Amino acid sequence: MKFAASTILITLLAALATYYMPWWMIAVVSFVVSFIFQLSVGKAFLSGFFGIALFWLVAILMLDIPNEHILSARMGNLFSLPNYLLFITVNVLVGGLVGGLSAWSAAAMRNTFMNTES
Amino acid sequence: MRAFRAIIPLLLTVLVVFVLNRPLGTVPALGRLLDPMNGCWRSAEPTDKDFSADIILKGVNAPVKVWFDKDLKAHIRASNDHDLYYAQGYVHAYFRLWQMDLQIRAAWGRICEIMGEKALEYDRTQRRKGMVYGAEQSLSAIEAEPHTKQMLDAYTAGINAYIKSLQYKDLPLEYKLMNFKPEPWENIKSALLLKYMADDLTGYTEDLQLTLLRDALSPEIFAQLYPERDSTSTPVIPVGTEHAKPLFEASVPSGNIWGHLTSGDFEKEEEKNDGKGSNNWAVSGARTKSGAPILANDPHLGLNLPSLWFEIQLQAPGINTYGASLPGAPGVVIGFTDSISWGLTNNYRDVKDFYTVEFIKGNRTTYLFAGRKANFTSRIEHIDIKGGTSFDDTVLYTVQGPVMYDEKFHGKEKILKPLAMAWMAHRPSNELYSVYMLNRSNNYEQFVNAIMGFHCPAQNFIYADKSGNIALWGQGQFINKWKDQGRYVMNGTENSTRWGAEIPTAQNPHALNPPQGYLSSANQTTTDANYPYWYNGYFYQFRAWRINQQLSTMNAATVQDMFKLQQDTYSILASKTLPVMLQYVSGKNDKYVGELRKWNYELSAESIAASAYQVWWSFFYGNMWEHVSGSMPLPLNPSAERTMQFMISNSPLLKDMPAVVAKSYQQAVDSLSRAEKKFGNKWYQVKNTTINHLAKLPAFSYEGLNVGGWGNVVNAVKHNHGPSWRMVVQMTAETDAYGVYPGGQSGNPGSKYYATFIDKWAKGEYQKLLFLPNKDQQDNNELIYTWNIKGK
Repeated sequence: MKFAASTILITLLAALATYYMPWWMIAVVSFVVSFIFQLSVGKAFLSGFFGIALFWLVAILMLDIPNEHILSARMGNLFSLPNYLLFITVNVLVGGLVGGLSAWSAAAMRNTFMNTES
Repeated sequence: MRAFRAIIPLLLTVLVVFVLNRPLGTVPALGRLLDPMNGCWRSAEPTDKDFSADIILKGVNAPVKVWFDKDLKAHIRASNDHDLYYAQGYVHAYFRLWQMDLQIRAAWGRICEIMGEKALEYDRTQRRKGMVYGAEQSLSAIEAEPHTKQMLDAYTAGINAYIKSLQYKDLPLEYKLMNFKPEPWENIKSALLLKYMADDLTGYTEDLQLTLLRDALSPEIFAQLYPERDSTSTPVIPVGTEHAKPLFEASVPSGNIWGHLTSGDFEKEEEKNDGKGSNNWAVSGARTKSGAPILANDPHLGLNLPSLWFEIQLQAPGINTYGASLPGAPGVVIGFTDSISWGLTNNYRDVKDFYTVEFIKGNRTTYLFAGRKANFTSRIEHIDIKGGTSFDDTVLYTVQGPVMYDEKFHGKEKILKPLAMAWMAHRPSNELYSVYMLNRSNNYEQFVNAIMGFHCPAQNFIYADKSGNIALWGQGQFINKWKDQGRYVMNGTENSTRWGAEIPTAQNPHALNPPQGYLSSANQTTTDANYPYWYNGYFYQFRAWRINQQLSTMNAATVQDMFKLQQDTYSILASKTLPVMLQYVSGKNDKYVGELRKWNYELSAESIAASAYQVWWSFFYGNMWEHVSGSMPLPLNPSAERTMQFMISNSPLLKDMPAVVAKSYQQAVDSLSRAEKKFGNKWYQVKNTTINHLAKLPAFSYEGLNVGGWGNVVNAVKHNHGPSWRMVVQMTAETDAYGVYPGGQSGNPGSKYYATFIDKWAKGEYQKLLFLPNKDQQDNNELIYTWNIKGK
């Protein structure tokens, strides 16, 4: 339950934040949410990963489908990828990785330092 | 230890974010690029996007309407000149901002700002050519004339209104890929675009090559191989046309007037440059089915995406014009109005000459001129380089012009000898005024008046109107030259070698309604020998021969006949030289020789014989002249026309022709066999016509187009060069106009309008051009989007 809530919150807050601010707010949001939710490091990583991946995937599909993949096919080609689906996949994985790493580091910090204090 | 382990993920995260936030070499900052909220995805334009909008632009004085058809061809209707050009600036920027920006940086010599130090030689070359100097001269002329001042001020303000509306997320994709940002437009940038065109069209020179060859060969051989004129030309201005009485005479000055070059003046070899071309023609009503004149034009330029051209109609009280515009400059460059149509080909008279420079020893401030010390003027050209460094180049100017090469700069030609350059593009002139007036011309007199101030790049202006007139002007600013002046490098220390008087442009060669009933130009020699002024140039004859031959037999011509002629791929060179060449391979019996024996001399896309001939000719031409130009630091072969004439007459100047032909055949067959395995041996496969994205990104380019043609046939589609805009206009009461260009109205690679017309262009299809009547309200159902632009 906590995992789902954390993931959804990361998705929504990251979308809101990067609408106004630069892309690296996905890392800040994942970090803060994960820090508050106190998930285990493994779950935190997955929550950050899926939270950002979900946000990026939905946002990309909302742009890519009406565009009939014109841009994604050209960008895929630019990065020597065989098709647009692979470009979207790689793109989403990059976002997920940043979210996951950031959430993981928040959990690791919290587990280490907060536990030491208590 | 535990604390340390807890810090590791954080450090890793920071590192990953840091790396993704920074460009690495040519790879853009991936985090920023892939972010769906701000990155590349913002350029994913919905294919069903509704472009209609109400737009508030404080700079317009009265409401402006812009209508778009299904291909986003723009029709602007304004109620005054200012608003018209303001809106044109806004429209150009809306669809083509990055391209406009990049072209100007290229013209200016500011590529180092984007690409870093590797572009330094390029940037310095631009500065040393005097591109910025020339643009400043032109701008002073543009801004001294009230109409063009208002026109350009408004255009610039319109571009800036669009730039100001942009946030990072809205920037064209290429800015994000190449990591730079648009900066405000300025009037000088439009002047630079005109210099960019002048450089493209009049920058080519053979002065250095011819100087080397003249000094290396005997005068008789030199005159045979490199004749000053091709007497077999069918000139732009028909033979027999009466020319105006000359105002000046010009005699060759005595004294030491020539500069000399030897191979010691060069560091290494450079490859041969390749000429540009274009066709235009007009057929009088006597030869057309409708009884109205038909005008056709296809300027051949580098083929790129976004395209050099943007299709537009401009309307306001006193102006209604449609045609091809240049993003970066106001007005319509090639097109038609309610009553006239006009088109351009490059004129190719030589307007760029070189002078030796003799520095007075010990400093870089004085040089020898007319027996005395003269002071250089100098310009410091400041070049910013990506990464925070910069480079200052002091460019010296003699009385003739900028010192292009000296001990501090040898250029890509690696010239060690100091040379100054005189170039017409450095003189103040206002070509924009010609555009302004052409767009408002409705008869021949207005047309002539409009083009009088068009100085550089010199163009052959073809003309047709609804009163039934056709005309052709070899227009530009030319110098009254003595024989051979500027054909070779000149001695810059002599006063007598400087450019003399300017020939008044009204004296330029022209023809109006000639008895033959048609006029045409295709970069061939401008006039017959009766023209009283001496000139040289870089002329080509093949396309002109073919076009004139075809037009002279045309009766009851239709626009379809014009389409067909623009698509013509018949090679005169092949028809004259192949029979000679085949004699020397009579023993061969392979498939290529078989194809060639039954070939119709058409360079059509699917033809294997066309490949065989073209490759064979290319080897033959190179091998044949190896002994003449192979040892030259800057090689220049005798022209293909000349070579053809020697072959027909079996001239002894073609040393060992049979052996060279046979050897070249073998090389061609080997080369074609390799091609066949790799990508195929049909002509379009061998030629590989490619429309390159301006940043040379293959992912945004179109390769291997199925098109025939070559530079020496009417349909001059080469590898990445060819008809950049095909237009045919029939001057019937209701204008009957067609056009197509290899690109699309949108410069955005994420738009479905990015390459809309490429397929049609490649197939040789045309689109009917929608020319709206000049009025506020339109009810044409082809107009599907509307911008309502208001001041408040």
